[in-house]
Amino acid sequence: MAVELSAFERSPRFSRWLDRRIPPTRRITLSQQSIFIFPTLTGFLFGGLIVLLILGAINYQNSLVYGVAFMLGSLFLVTILYTFRNLSGLTIELVGAGVGYVGEDVEFQVRVSRPKGKGREGVQLGWLGAITQWAELYDSEACTVRLFVRAERRGWLDPGRLLIETQYPLGLLRAWTWVDLGARALVYPQPIFLDHPEHIARRGDDGELVDPQGSDDFNDMRKYRPGDPIRHVMWRVYARSDELVVKEYTSYLDPRLMLDYDRVSGGVEERLSRLTGMTLSAARSGREFGLILPGVRIGPSIGDSHRDSILRALALHGIPQA
Amino acid sequence: MAFLRRNEPAEALGVGYQIPRNSLALLMVAQAVVVLPHAAHITLWIIGVGFVCGCWRWMVFQGRWDYPQRWVKALLVVASVIGVGVSGKNVFSLETATGLLIVAFALKLVEMKSRRDAYIVIHLCYFIIAAEFLFDQSIGAALYGVLAMIIVTAAFVGLHQLHTRVRVATSLRTAAVLVSQAVPLMLVLFLFFPRVAPLWSVPLPGGARTGISDHIAPGDIAALTRSDDIAFRAVFDGAIPAMRDLYWRGLVYSNFAQGTWFVGGLPTTADNMPVQAGGLASFLPKRVGTPIDYQVLLEPTQESWLFALDVAAPVGRGTALTRDFRLIADGPVHSVMHYRAQAFAGAATDVELPEWLRRRETQLPPGDNPRIVAFAKDLAARSSDQQTYLDNVLKYIRTEPFYYTLNPPTLDDAHSVDSFWFDSRRGFCSHFAGAFVYLARAVGIPARMIGGYQGGEVNPLTGHLVVRQYDAHAWTEVWLPGRGWVRIDPTAAVAPARIESGLNAALSETDRAVLSSVTAGHFEGVPGLRDVFYLFESMQHRWNMWVVGYDTEIQARYLADLLGEVTPTRVGLAMLLGGGLSLALVVLSLFWRRRPEPDHPAQRIFRRFADRLVRSGLVRRPDETPARFLHRVNKARNRPTTDVAELVDQLDALLYNPDVECSQQALRSLRSGLRRLQLDVALRARA
Repeated sequence: MAVELSAFERSPRFSRWLDRRIPPTRRITLSQQSIFIFPTLTGFLFGGLIVLLILGAINYQNSLVYGVAFMLGSLFLVTILYTFRNLSGLTIELVGAGVGYVGEDVEFQVRVSRPKGKGREGVQLGWLGAITQWAELYDSEACTVRLFVRAERRGWLDPGRLLIETQYPLGLLRAWTWVDLGARALVYPQPIFLDHPEHIARRGDDGELVDPQGSDDFNDMRKYRPGDPIRHVMWRVYARSDELVVKEYTSYLDPRLMLDYDRVSGGVEERLSRLTGMTLSAARSGREFGLILPGVRIGPSIGDSHRDSILRALALHGIPQA
Repeated sequence: MAFLRRNEPAEALGVGYQIPRNSLALLMVAQAVVVLPHAAHITLWIIGVGFVCGCWRWMVFQGRWDYPQRWVKALLVVASVIGVGVSGKNVFSLETATGLLIVAFALKLVEMKSRRDAYIVIHLCYFIIAAEFLFDQSIGAALYGVLAMIIVTAAFVGLHQLHTRVRVATSLRTAAVLVSQAVPLMLVLFLFFPRVAPLWSVPLPGGARTGISDHIAPGDIAALTRSDDIAFRAVFDGAIPAMRDLYWRGLVYSNFAQGTWFVGGLPTTADNMPVQAGGLASFLPKRVGTPIDYQVLLEPTQESWLFALDVAAPVGRGTALTRDFRLIADGPVHSVMHYRAQAFAGAATDVELPEWLRRRETQLPPGDNPRIVAFAKDLAARSSDQQTYLDNVLKYIRTEPFYYTLNPPTLDDAHSVDSFWFDSRRGFCSHFAGAFVYLARAVGIPARMIGGYQGGEVNPLTGHLVVRQYDAHAWTEVWLPGRGWVRIDPTAAVAPARIESGLNAALSETDRAVLSSVTAGHFEGVPGLRDVFYLFESMQHRWNMWVVGYDTEIQARYLADLLGEVTPTRVGLAMLLGGGLSLALVVLSLFWRRRPEPDHPAQRIFRRFADRLVRSGLVRRPDETPARFLHRVNKARNRPTTDVAELVDQLDALLYNPDVECSQQALRSLRSGLRRLQLDVALRARA
């Protein structure tokens, strides 16, 4: 079930009140301070049944029908305590936030633990707009729930308040709370992979690798193929033999790839996406590479942490640091 | 109400929702359990429909069949509704309504897909449990209701128990705990919730009619004696009168036709108009002597007549007196009825007999039973006055070979009284009473047959009187000048033991064998069994008195005893107090935590060490073992040392090695090692 706000909870006043009542914290133990409780639709249906039974008992003057009605009424009151207790005393703690790319689901790890004693059942957690997950707290005293949020934009992803709710034992009441665990996750741009990433790689003057489509040194001649640069056509040969022949040039490439923002085409996001794709390909190929963004230069290096710092720079490009 | 949240699970995702296995199983059991007691008053094919639907639903769960098509369901619904309408005697009766409810309930089985469907079925289950109590309010029915409620609640809980190891037993246990925790609060509500009069009239259950009916043919009452069903229970405020005085008057039979005595047949209904208890008319008996106060808990009869001692004076609401001094209720008695009455022994009634009444109480069908009429005239001629004549009749019964028996021979249809009086001479109370009235009327003495119960059995545990169907009896009332109506029981002339000590004593051995009933008399000489019988009977009585019969009147009396004065404030406060206490019990059981077990001393030392380090900025992560944490702390030191491994060994040994003794010395050494480490880190943090 996707978490949605009720009309009441959508008002800004409620959100301000909530901020005062349950201030943001990385770890919170739920108490009557933070738990709300209200009957569900089923609860109202149940109430209707009780009223119906009491009416029947009055009209039929039947003591045992009164008994059933009162039994159900008492059950309702007792389940208020059960539902409340099911959340009360739970400790919610953010233990990890994953990373992801735009368009993916980003993982958060929330640890829910309960005090010793009776197990809790049917506890659900979920960020607003995301699918809820069950917390398994019946046999174990703690569990880590993995919650996913769809990343819509690069940069810091703030999933907002986390809903913790339960309808145990009879679904007549819903106890819930919204906690702000201060969770945020880094979202990298959506990678765009190019067929020939080297096209836009910044070239050096010396090196070992040869770029077959480079234009620095003459290497060979061959027949024209559509798409060859027109300035490589050997017009003299054409004049002589009516044959289109092109000169082949090659370049020496610097193996240390520098991914340059200025040399990538497209808008800001598109460029960042391409650079992300190139970063990933480069990291996978195992060669040294670096990044040049306006105002930022991350020197060529290798390794996962180097890749991550480049991705982080791409993710946070142009985003003011909070 | 957008604020409300619907508890709809996976459908929103487009995933096929399956009601959890244990909950589905419990739901189906619950449906069967809930419907079972209704089998007595709904047509049996409904049970069949339920069974088929249940099997279908199980096959769906197994994945072998699919839910029925829409048109199949529509067809089923239409067929069932028509079926219920056709098989019910009365379309608007309670039985038909229940039948319809249960059919709908059975059909819902094959449609039970979503969680909301399950909710609806559960609510219907609760409703059907309550509906059964309209037909039966015994202890057994109540216990069964509690059991059914636990099963239904278990299905309800099962819908929300989503941990992986959930089983039917787990749900049942949770439900049983829930129900038992709700009981104290329920009792408080039961006691204090104000009982009010019905708001509108409703159809009431028909039920089987047992007991005395409004006409008596010879042998009718003898048939009743084969039943040990309880007719009513009576509680006397004072001492219980002697057995021979316990004549529970219920019906007055004044009309005779074709061998059968009938009630009523009065010229105008106005003569039989009930006289309200408040406005006693002039013909009512004078209240003489000290009244006998008693209350009666009458089992349902589906009729409005009540049973009362002698000439009754009704006390309280809901009862009234008729022109022939019978006590009647406002309407048919469909569930156990509680009423109070007073009896005035020896009160004279109708000292002045109106002429129309005299005519009515002396009429006989002309030409019927000529032999006994001739016999009466002959006997009257030989008697000086009416009293002597009646005495002579009784003497005749006593001296001639008349027999009191449960199995009288069949009588001649045309002249049944003649046939009994002269030929068979074997009869039960109604034979003797009928013949006696006939003899009286034949010579112009106003007389009528009275039907009711005679005697009863005292339960020694509670001191209440139990009157059973086999105590049914018929006797007569004869009008004598200056004395009014006088009770004469001709059975006393033929079988005095019947009146003195009950039916069993009056019967011959063979007749007693015919009686299949279980009476306390049968346990004569088996003291243990007899006590159990009395205990069971007294439980039933208390149940009727305090639970089933708990109405406005008893509640008012009980609350007055409890609270001193019944004001809305006091009742409200008592309800709040009682309810609060019962909920407090639940709170206590839910939130009470046992003191945690004392930690291992080494554990405690380590925890204190970890707590101190927080100040230096080193927080132990929840997933960090002591060893890893110690190594991390060691790294935070100015000059990490290797002796931290020793410290880890020490700690591990103390915590986990059962062979290592947890001595004071070892603990001290661990403490000092940790202390040194912590001081090092603290110094560095400060620097």
